[in-house]
Amino acid sequence: MKKTTAALTIASLLGSTVAAVAEQCTNETWNKIQERGTIVVGVKADTKPWGFRGENGDLIGMEADMAKEVADTLGVELELVGVQSSNRMQFLEGGRIDLMIATMSDRTDRREIVGVVGPNYYSSGTNIMAPKALGIDEWSDLEGKPVCGKQGAFYNQIIEDRYGAQIVAFTGNAEAKQALRDRKCIAWVYDDSVIAADLASGNFDDFEMPLTSEDDNPWGLAVPIAERNCVFGRFMSGMQYNWHQSGDLIALEEKWGIQATAYLQRENERFKDWLAE
Amino acid sequence: MTTHSNQNRFAVLKPIDTTRRMSYDPMTLSRSLGSLPVWTPFAALAVAAIWPQIVYAQTATGVDPIGALWRWAPFLITKGFLFNILISFLCLLLGTLGGLAIGLGQISHVKPLRWLCWGITQLFRNSPWLVLLFIVMLALPFELTIFGNTFFFPAWIKAVIGLSLPIIANISEIVRGAVASVPTTQWEAAESLAMTRRQAMWRIILPQCFKRMIPPWMNWYAILTMATPLVSILGVEEVVNLTRQAIEAEDNLPELLAPFYGFVLILFFIYCYPIARLTLRLERRFAVKL
Repeated sequence: MKKTTAALTIASLLGSTVAAVAEQCTNETWNKIQERGTIVVGVKADTKPWGFRGENGDLIGMEADMAKEVADTLGVELELVGVQSSNRMQFLEGGRIDLMIATMSDRTDRREIVGVVGPNYYSSGTNIMAPKALGIDEWSDLEGKPVCGKQGAFYNQIIEDRYGAQIVAFTGNAEAKQALRDRKCIAWVYDDSVIAADLASGNFDDFEMPLTSEDDNPWGLAVPIAERNCVFGRFMSGMQYNWHQSGDLIALEEKWGIQATAYLQRENERFKDWLAE
Repeated sequence: MTTHSNQNRFAVLKPIDTTRRMSYDPMTLSRSLGSLPVWTPFAALAVAAIWPQIVYAQTATGVDPIGALWRWAPFLITKGFLFNILISFLCLLLGTLGGLAIGLGQISHVKPLRWLCWGITQLFRNSPWLVLLFIVMLALPFELTIFGNTFFFPAWIKAVIGLSLPIIANISEIVRGAVASVPTTQWEAAESLAMTRRQAMWRIILPQCFKRMIPPWMNWYAILTMATPLVSILGVEEVVNLTRQAIEAEDNLPELLAPFYGFVLILFFIYCYPIARLTLRLERRFAVKL
């Protein structure tokens, strides 16, 4: 009797250990990708030049190119799904997409929902576009003034709290910039790299980006949270490490006409192969 | 002199003419849309396309809204507008089936059923559509497990369900009204032929209702179609959302806003205008002659 109990206890203990390990790494998504021979990647459809639509409706951009490289490395087909800031994490959680590369700032609360793996592939700061005529040169100049922004950007709240600006949030950047031209607000707050691209386009010659960027925030791509420390997560870490080391991200930045960021340059040097000369 | 000013002080309110122009009924949409000359929205688009170019003439930087529109039109129509039409069809299907059931429930002789159907009708008829959409969006699960298989529940299906709720309620009212409009002599005649209530309803009353329900039903279809862009707020990739993405891809130039949204307006007009005209014609033809 005693023996049986002991055996049962050991068996159940073993069983639970196996179950625990199995629970840690089922590699469900990873295996699913292999099985169907296609990886479904969520990218933005409304954020040029990272993820946007070509004239035939295909999703293109820097992050779409990164997704393509992931698919090629895996040797599977690529399927892109357009996601929005409001649903990108839900899509990943619900299994609609396998991988998310969608201009997401890497924040603590987000890491509890999706499996963000390092090293971060990009980083951007917050800045404003304002008419040159206003001569804004400090963030504190925004106090009590209406400032246009895009709905869902995490820094809208920060700018309001820190500098007392009154954020007027629009659904799209075109609407926000139209409002800026119509003088409904004194500035448009957004990612510094996007503002730089707009200024370089020659369509905003009377405007400037007068402040030092704030809240430099790394971006994170994400796998389903259960697979953060499993094959898929480790694989994506390796992809990002390689992108940084090879300088691929810098090349992509140039390809899509994004102003070179110091962050990518820094990471490229940090991960440099010390034997290669 | 004095009398005259007194008369002015106690001005008399003349009776308001409620038979024309001022009156509002559910058919107002079809009536006003149907009475528009065909060129109206095209003129609006022309203004929308030309206006920004006049305004920004001084800072002209080679922005070409019409060229951009030309390049994007096929995508916006095939992937965007046709999807709106699909949504409107599915909503109409759900709305018609549901509305018929609830409408007949409203005239049921079973009291609890009648009250329930009346309650549902009033609730959905008098709620803002967007609020109904939000509730359906949040109440329905993100994925669905049926027999152990998990299915992704796309946002647009939820949007179809959400949009069909007000349609169900309004069609329910159309059905109830149509049945009530059939002269009671018809019921009596059916009864004299020893028909049960159900038989009289299906074989005598409803066939007469069918014709008079068509114009308001089409009117609601036009309203529904024009309401489909509402679902863009919920992230469904229909024409308005794709238009926004197209503007984004064209560098978010503010000059594009008016022409692009004007184009969407034209699409809806081209689709809804014939429906409104046909509705008016059918309404005139089926009008009960007194």
